[in-house]
Formats: sequence, structure tokens, C-alpha cells
Amino acid sequence: MKESLYKKELLLTVVFFVVLLFFGHFAQIFVLFPGLQGDPVAGTGMMWGFPVHYIIPVLMGWFGLLAVTIVMALVLNKFDDDMEELAESLEGKGSNKNK
Amino acid sequence: METYEFVLPSMAMGLGVVIVLFAIFYYVGYRSAKITTTAEDFYAAGYSIGPVANGLAMAATWASLATFMGVIALIYALQAPFVYLWIQWSLSIPLLTLLYGASLRRMKAFTPASFIKVRYGNEAAIISIAWMCLAMVMYALGQMIGLGMAFEVLFGIDYIYALVIVGIATVGFITIGGMYGASYNAAFQMVVMTLAIVVPMGAIMKSMGSAGWWFPPLAYGDMVPGMLERLPDFFDMRYDYRWYFALIPAFTMGPIALPHLAMRIFTSSSVKSARWSVVWFILFLGLLFSGSYTAGFAGNFFTAETGMNIEPADMTIFALNVYYNPAIVAAFVIGGAVAAGLSTIGGNLMAISGLIGSDLMGIIRPKMESKKKMAYGYAALGIGGVAAILLAFNPPAFLVTSILWAFGLLATAVAPSILLGVWWKQTNKTASILSSLVCGIIYIIISPHVLGDIVVGHGLVAALGMSGAMVTVPLAYASLVILSLLFNKMGVTAVDMETKKMVDRIHGWGSDYDEARYNGSIMPAAIVVICVIVFIWGLQPWPG
Repeated sequence: MKESLYKKELLLTVVFFVVLLFFGHFAQIFVLFPGLQGDPVAGTGMMWGFPVHYIIPVLMGWFGLLAVTIVMALVLNKFDDDMEELAESLEGKGSNKNK
Repeated sequence: METYEFVLPSMAMGLGVVIVLFAIFYYVGYRSAKITTTAEDFYAAGYSIGPVANGLAMAATWASLATFMGVIALIYALQAPFVYLWIQWSLSIPLLTLLYGASLRRMKAFTPASFIKVRYGNEAAIISIAWMCLAMVMYALGQMIGLGMAFEVLFGIDYIYALVIVGIATVGFITIGGMYGASYNAAFQMVVMTLAIVVPMGAIMKSMGSAGWWFPPLAYGDMVPGMLERLPDFFDMRYDYRWYFALIPAFTMGPIALPHLAMRIFTSSSVKSARWSVVWFILFLGLLFSGSYTAGFAGNFFTAETGMNIEPADMTIFALNVYYNPAIVAAFVIGGAVAAGLSTIGGNLMAISGLIGSDLMGIIRPKMESKKKMAYGYAALGIGGVAAILLAFNPPAFLVTSILWAFGLLATAVAPSILLGVWWKQTNKTASILSSLVCGIIYIIISPHVLGDIVVGHGLVAALGMSGAMVTVPLAYASLVILSLLFNKMGVTAVDMETKKMVDRIHGWGSDYDEARYNGSIMPAAIVVICVIVFIWGLQPWPG
């Protein structure tokens, strides 16, 4: 239980770190893959009147991050509950490895 | 091309709005002073701020006067890549909370330096306090100068008088209220800022004939042709991939170590509440930032439609309001800009207060009682504010050259010790001190602001610290890992058991200790490999 919670903490931190960077720096996708920008002259690559490589990073940096932070709050707060439960049960047993 | 010069139509209305706002700030400060009785109240608002108020306060603390005044000029300079630079600011508090904010909130720290002191000792804490204070002074100074200049232009009074009046008025209400006042005032200021930028912009867009007036932050697509007429290559992704990547070490990893942002997490009523504050922060900040992009577009649309250039460009948002909206609305927008500057100064001064009054004085006089700690906090806050006003009379060039440059300094000299200190038990005190000092000094040396001859990169990337940070940030992380392993092996200030137990505790393990936890070799090895690659990449010549 302890080991799996520890691994879960590391995994969640790394995953959320990468996902946050991905959403906050979404413009990099359009630099790495310029084909995604489309061709406004040919009528592609536009959304709501903007070039997609402008408006999508704006949306990802706002609503995308909003969704990520909501998931982050839910998942990490649930993780804290599990952690508190475990810590309390360990307090009772007086566990202390490699003291 | 003709120019349209900004002139405030009614000075009385402008002054009236500013006076009313200051009266509210002083009232909040006064009420807050009444409930501030302990050091915890003064530095962390009694760890009691709820998620919505804290989310608003976080956004207000982060969004500076630049949101109203500097954005337009920066849009002209950097065009669409500037917007990408601005978008990623939103990552600051979510990353801070994820990577160490929750852990430090658990240990009830007042500032990140409180953690450094417990984790590495007094010497390391003093160094981190010095770096963070330098960044906070640069930050507060920039806001103070901006407010002085804004009052000079708006009300036609001499800069020095404007600075003294607005400076003293500002320092006064922040000093009275402590963190309670700074938090509730910042929450109120964020509401004012958002309303002042978004609502009048809707009326402006309607007058301009834009169909998107009903939602200014995102529905300005029909202004794109106006922007392209003025700046045909506005949407070009003009820089190579490295430019976009370089935003991460300097501007994403730097604000993580900004003490005034971290302190917003520490004021939360609980770790869970802090995470929900982050959600509100993203919602409110996104609304404000998107509104400021709209202002930039509207300014260009105005020029394309009327053939008139707005002068000075920094005053675009005010000029548009004067041109299209009633005088009272323009006065309210001025109030919004003032709120933006004040909320950031409030955060900066509270951080200086925490760093000096609590952390530094705690080192000098470790057995200080709570009341005394609070008294020193008040004194540090007031002195910090007066120092910022005095410096703003005739500011040293290196302090005002670039506030953004200071983010790279914190990313180099402070963030590695905090992050590795939280996540890796082997992080060594001597390694932390050496890495912070040496890499911080290298960052200063290779910038164009101090020596000027030894510079990594050139032009804007060097001035903003992007090219420098791409070298020194990976150097700082890699050197901290390698030196820690070396010093621990040599027995030089090897990490003791009490410190290792503290690392487990702040992650929520209570008294349960496991030597293997946060003590692996994969994470530090991966950091070193990634850092070496980024370091070498950063040293390659930067295109002109």
C-alpha cells in the first residue's frame, strides 16, 4: 500500500507536470508541425476568424488549463485522502522503516 | 499618418475614481489590521483564505500594470509570439502548487525561504533571501515607476510628485493590512481589473462595428483583418523552435520561485483549498489576459479604420475608452490599471516583509516571539515600500532594464534548491549554496545588463534572459545533482536524518519514514541528461 501510494504520487506529479507544460506551451506544436497551421489563403487553418495557430494556444492556455487544474484538484485531493488514511493507520502501528 | 494623442477628458472623474478606490483599500486594510494579532495572521492571513478569494488574489498578484499598459507595446515588438509568451504565465501557480506549494503549505511556511532554512540551514537561506529580495525590489520598482508615470500622464502632475503621492498612499494601506489586507484587497482589485478591461471593451467593439462585442475576450476574430493591415506578418511564427522552447527555463520555471506567488498558496485554508484556488486563478487570469489581447487588436483595428496612430502606445486602452466611451467609463478603466499595479506591489511588499521580517530576522534572532516577529514584518514592509519609492526617483538602470530578466535569475539561483530539496533527499546544503551562487552569478555575467561583453545570445532574447536561462538553468540543476552526490560521498555537510524525515513529512507521510522514498537515482540521472542536452543547445549561436 505504502509503496503503491509513493509510486502513484511520483507518477501523478510527472504526468501533471508534462500535461501542464503541454497545454501552456501549445504553440510549440504548431512550430514543430507547421503543416497544422493550414493555409488561410486556401480557406483552411482558420477558426472563429483567427488562424488556428493563434486561437488554439489561447484556448488551451485558458480553458485547456482550466480543465487540467480541475482534474488535478480532484485527483490530488483524493490522493491526499488516501495518504491521510494511510498515515493515520501507520501512526497507530508506529511504523518507521530504516530508522 | 495622423496621431491620436490620449488626453483625459475629465480629471475630476479620474481623480474621483482613484480616491474612491483608495478609500476602499484603506477600509479593507483597517478592518484587516483589527484581526491581525499573530505572525501567522500577518504573514499568512491566519492560513484562512478560501478558494475563490484566493484565486482572485492570486490572479491580481500575478497580473501587473503591464496588463493594462505594457501589453500593447509588447504586441508591436514581438507580435503573435508575444501572446504565446504571455499565455504561459498562467502555468506559474499551477506548477508551483503541484511541485512544492502543497508540501510547503503542509509545513506552514511563510515564504519559500522558510523551507530553504529548515532544509539547508541559515547560510543557504540568507543567499536565497538575497536573490528573492532582489527580484522583488526589481518587480516593485517597475510597478512603482509605472504608477508614477501613469499618474503623471493622466493627471498632468510632475513625475516626482506623482510618485511620492501614489507611493505613500500605496505603502500606507498595504502596511496597515498585512496579509489579510493584501489578500482581500487583491481579490477586490482583480474584480475591478477584470470589469475595467472586459466590459468597456465590449462597448468599444460594438462602436467599432465588431460583431463580437458580446464576448470581447474571444470574439474579436473580425478584427483580424485590421491587425493584418497594420502588421501583415502578425501571426507569423517568426522564430525557430528554440525560441519557443527557451520560454520554459526562463519564464515557466522562474516564476515558480517568486515568493509573492508562493505566499498566496500558503495563505490557503488547507492544501485542498489551495488546489481549488488554482482552478479559480486560471479562470480569472484567462479572462483578464484574453481581454488584454483584445485591447491590442482593438488598437490596431482603430488605426486601420481611422488612419490615426494612438500615441503613446502604452496608453492605447485608455485612448480607446476616451474615444468611444463616456468619460466616467474611461475613469473607471484608469481605476482598473491602478488596481493592477497596486495588487502586484502589495504582493511584492508582503514577500519582502516575510523574507526580511520573518526569515532573516528569524536567523538573526531565532528565539523571537510571535508579536516581535510581526512588528519586524510591519517595519520591513514599510521600509521596503519607502525604499522602492526612493529608488524610483532615479532608478539604477540594471534594476529597471527588465523585470522579466529577473525570472531567469530565480529559475537559476532559487528554484533548483527548492524543487530538488522537496523531491530528492540527497540534495546537499553545500551543493545548494555553491550551485545557487555560482550559477546565479554566471547568469548575471552572461546577460547584456551588467558587463555587456560576455553575452549568450543577443537582442531581445538576451535582454529578457531567455538565452541566458537556457544555459544557466540546466547548469544549476545538473550541478546541484552532481555536487550533492559528490559532497555526500565525501561526507561534506551530508544530509542528516532529521532533514530526510522532514522531506517525508512535508509530502504527507506523517511520522512514517522510509529511507528509499524520494531517494532514487532515476529522477536525478534523468535531470542531468536532459540538462546537459539543453545546456549544449543553449550555447549554440542564436540567430539574429
